[in-house]
Parts: sequence; C-alpha cells; structure tokens
Amino acid sequence: MTIEDFRALIAILAILVGTFFSLIGLLGMIRLPDVYARLHATGKIGLYGAVLLLVAAAVWTPLGWGRAIFLMVLLMVTGPVTAHAISSAAYRIGTPMKNPIRDDLSAAEEAPAPGD
Amino acid sequence: MVELLREVATVAIALHVGMLAAAVWRIWRGETVADRLVGVDLITTLLISILILLSIIQRDSIYIDLALALAALGFISTIALAKYLADEQMF
Repeated sequence: MTIEDFRALIAILAILVGTFFSLIGLLGMIRLPDVYARLHATGKIGLYGAVLLLVAAAVWTPLGWGRAIFLMVLLMVTGPVTAHAISSAAYRIGTPMKNPIRDDLSAAEEAPAPGD
Repeated sequence: MVELLREVATVAIALHVGMLAAAVWRIWRGETVADRLVGVDLITTLLISILILLSIIQRDSIYIDLALALAALGFISTIALAKYLADEQMF
C-alpha cells in the first residue's frame, strides 16, 4: 500500500462520513415541525458535512492544511452565528413554535411565580 | 483505491445535487418566511460542499478558493437578510 493509496483511503472515509451527516441533516430539515428545530438540523450540514469534506480535500488535493483550516474555522464560526441570527429574527417577527414546553423570552416568564 | 475515490466523490456530488433540490423545495413551500431563509442558507452551504467535491474529483485546489469566497458572501447575505427580516430595514 503506497502513501497515495493511504491518502485516498482517508479521503474516501471522510467523504462517506460527511455525506452521511449531510443526509441526516437534510432529513431533519424536511421532517422537523418548525423553524427552530429545522435550524438545529441544518447546522449539522454546515459543520460536520462541509468540514469533513474539507478534511478529504486537504488530504487528497494539493491544497495544503493552511487554507483548509482557515475555511474550516470560517465555517465553524459563521454557522452558529447565522443560525442564531435567523432564529432571533424569526422570534422577533413572531414565528410560532410547534408544541412548546416553555418560552424563556416571553414576558410571562419574567413575572415571579405566584408561590414565591 | 484512486478509482474508488473518484467513484465515491461522483456519487457524493450526485447526492449533494439532490439535496440542493430539497433545499429549493423548502424555499418554494416555505410555511413561514424564516423557513425560506433557512433554505437560502442551506443552498449556500451545499454549494460550498459541491465545490469541495469538485476539487477532489479534479484534484485541483482552485475550487477551494471559490468555496472560500462563497462562504464569506453567504455569511454576509444571510446576516443582512435576517436583520432585514427582524427590523424591516437593512441598516
């Protein structure tokens, strides 16, 4: 087994695992009930899917780890920031939740409970 | 092993194009406007993944630079659209 085959093997494993995470995240985006749950699912595509494909590209292509790690850090920082911005905007325009247990941001939670 | 890598990457690129169709379906169906914004953000992420897979198939790192530019532009555009959605003004 040459070093070239070893690089190809690592790239194949990273592509398979990354595509698996992307498929799971897409299934969640289709099946989950409301915006907030769908954002939870699509975050997996940005983090695990794209970052594992970048590991494969850094091993296989003449890219070098510098630019690959830069793009990984960019994806890891901007993914949660965009998810938080979308969910905050959705809450501020009053997008309803399906089956909420409690709402930490609503005014009713600010008031003290009657027993206190 | 190298041929197997090329076949796996080709199948993965086909799957990612199928996922792009599902994201377009999410924008079309929507239910709320925030759902459509989730779909736009997902399309940007999937295009980044497709560019990385193209660079693996061609064994050429120029597509990674395209993915870098697309990641930065997608971040700015999603943040701007979310702010427009919440405040009804861009700046």
